[in-house]
Amino acid sequence: MKTFDPVTLATPFFILTIILEIVLTRFGKLRANYEAKDTAVSLGMGLGSTVAGVLFGGMIAAATLWVHQFRLFDIPMTAVWAWVAIFLLEDLTYYWFHRLAHERRFWWASHVNHHSSQHYNLSTALRQTWTGGIAGTWLLWLPLSFLGFPPAMIAIQKGISLVYQYWIHTEAIRRMPRWFEAVFNTPSHHRVHHARNPRYLDRNYAGILIVWDRLFGTFQPELDEEPCRYGIVKNLGTFNIVRVAFHEWIAMLQDVARQPRHALGWLFGPPGWSPDGSRQTSAQLKADWQARTAPAAPPELDRAA
Amino acid sequence: MGQAFFIQLAASGAAIAVLVALAAWAKIARPSAPLDDAKARALFADEFPERSLEAVWVASDGAGALAKSGGLALVICRLGDGYVARQLPWAQALSASFRDGRLSVDLADVAAPRAVIALPAWPPKELAA
Repeated sequence: MKTFDPVTLATPFFILTIILEIVLTRFGKLRANYEAKDTAVSLGMGLGSTVAGVLFGGMIAAATLWVHQFRLFDIPMTAVWAWVAIFLLEDLTYYWFHRLAHERRFWWASHVNHHSSQHYNLSTALRQTWTGGIAGTWLLWLPLSFLGFPPAMIAIQKGISLVYQYWIHTEAIRRMPRWFEAVFNTPSHHRVHHARNPRYLDRNYAGILIVWDRLFGTFQPELDEEPCRYGIVKNLGTFNIVRVAFHEWIAMLQDVARQPRHALGWLFGPPGWSPDGSRQTSAQLKADWQARTAPAAPPELDRAA
Repeated sequence: MGQAFFIQLAASGAAIAVLVALAAWAKIARPSAPLDDAKARALFADEFPERSLEAVWVASDGAGALAKSGGLALVICRLGDGYVARQLPWAQALSASFRDGRLSVDLADVAAPRAVIALPAWPPKELAA
């Protein structure tokens, strides 16, 4: 199935803008941090993800086409309303995929890769999973095919979303205009999403439209008084790309093998769940942080959240 | 997978090499001065806000630190321009291998297999018992 692929088209733009971000920072014109090994891992993960995409792409395309046979409606690819509809529905699907990928360990095992850098720059955007095909989150997009959107249209909109999300992985842009920040996902909103500060954990799941987070209660603005600390709760202690790609899968399977009686909890509980409570989930980290800071925090800070 | 795919793959690999070389040349990593006692304690406070520290040993090269907190050893180790933190039973840290002034702590974590901390001696005499 040969279609217009926004990601392939945007690849030269990705390379050029990373060069610009590095060079302009080198000469003091932008704010960014790049560490060579971290950059190598991020870009290597991006390349590996492309290979994995080719390996799993056929299966995903076949499943999408198969479901499309049973479609409810015939949605034309040439109608403007159809593009508006798929823009909204694909972005809503992305929100729930992304939320699931953070809140349940089985899917976090795949998505954690994107968050494991302690940096936040344009190369971080390309730090993509190799195991999305295995995690099966692509199934969430099948209802769009069942509704009647042509598979090519879904693939294009997914590509547009991915390209949109590239430019927001930067510290070089502080804030966009207020109207834009209100409606769209922006560098500021997405910095929060990549932060490991308890206040910022599991917030701002949006792809393109931040309105989903506002609607479903997961929005958190970036606060100047609390700079983002990037990475994951337990940061990686290695630049070995194979460990980076598979560490959470291996850890999860080790937990299941050690305590098969609690397999469901280990697989589908929130990241950080343990049967004896010896580990901490995001909710527990947030609760501890709130207990530590509640008496001292000025009330307007919490209202802003 | 056709020839075009492999050409694209090779070109992408070359582009990555150029970008990584550029990042190394630019020297725009976060400034990371060696840890001293105060900085190590601040890092421990960030990473383990619930734990109080009984004793802290800072690596002689400033690239890590180890602390005792009740029955736990808290470990901080530099990786690139950032730090990685883990906790483990104190007895495990006490029995970690120490050779040529380097304490090698098995973190039993596939995501952070080992921390190496340069120390003048190990275990600390006052806490070994």
